[in-house]
Amino acid sequence: MKTYEEAMNALGDPTRRAIFERLGRGPQAVGELAEGLPVSRPAVSQHLRVLKDAGLVTERPDGNRRVYRVEPGGIAALRAYFEGFWDALLADFKAEAEAEAQERKKP
Amino acid sequence: MSTMEALPPIRKSITVDAPVATAFETFTRGMGSWWPAGSHSIHEGRVEEVVFDEKAGGRVFERTATGEEEDWADVLAWDPPNGFTLLWRVNPERGATEVEVRFTPQGEGTRVDLEHRGWDAIGDAEGRTGYDNGWDFVLRRYSEASTSE
Repeated sequence: MKTYEEAMNALGDPTRRAIFERLGRGPQAVGELAEGLPVSRPAVSQHLRVLKDAGLVTERPDGNRRVYRVEPGGIAALRAYFEGFWDALLADFKAEAEAEAQERKKP
Repeated sequence: MSTMEALPPIRKSITVDAPVATAFETFTRGMGSWWPAGSHSIHEGRVEEVVFDEKAGGRVFERTATGEEEDWADVLAWDPPNGFTLLWRVNPERGATEVEVRFTPQGEGTRVDLEHRGWDAIGDAEGRTGYDNGWDFVLRRYSEASTSE
């Protein structure tokens, strides 16, 4: 599985994020994607390649077109990131809550 | 996609050496005192405060010194001091993930159980129309965060 960092780097670009979000509404071919975006079709193809390399989208041939869709494993990477994120956050919360409890104990 | 493998909720539990009311209030009203808003937020270093509307239907948002606000979540359920549930979203019509936090007395302290769920909903590319903004929201909040850890 691709790492969370790879996925996040790929989605750091606003156009790629827009492409990814459009695919979130359903699979589309390159031409369909390019029609709704202010970038050229070759640029869309380039962005799709980055998204694919990051494990966020997959492609499959459909006649003479290539249809792209969101790769569920990309969400798995995001979820995996949150596993560690919550550990760090809850540790910070615990420290603050215990400090607050000590503060409230004071006369 | 119906063949997609299910993504289970994230579940975390910790015990805190603080009474339930203190733990609950620190998590909600006091969120700005421990949440690393300098890195884990939309405006990052410009965030002045994190505001937690203490009611169902309220929202959680960041505010900058110049008054700009960006929403983090809707408060779906509010049950002080036992727990709350948040919907992390941009647009209330759209899907996003849910975070539920429960606070249970344990001796002199508190057990805190967190569940972060709804991964399948944001991952379902075929049948749904509504998670694009949910994605956008999550990514905006956490993209920078990953590089700071």
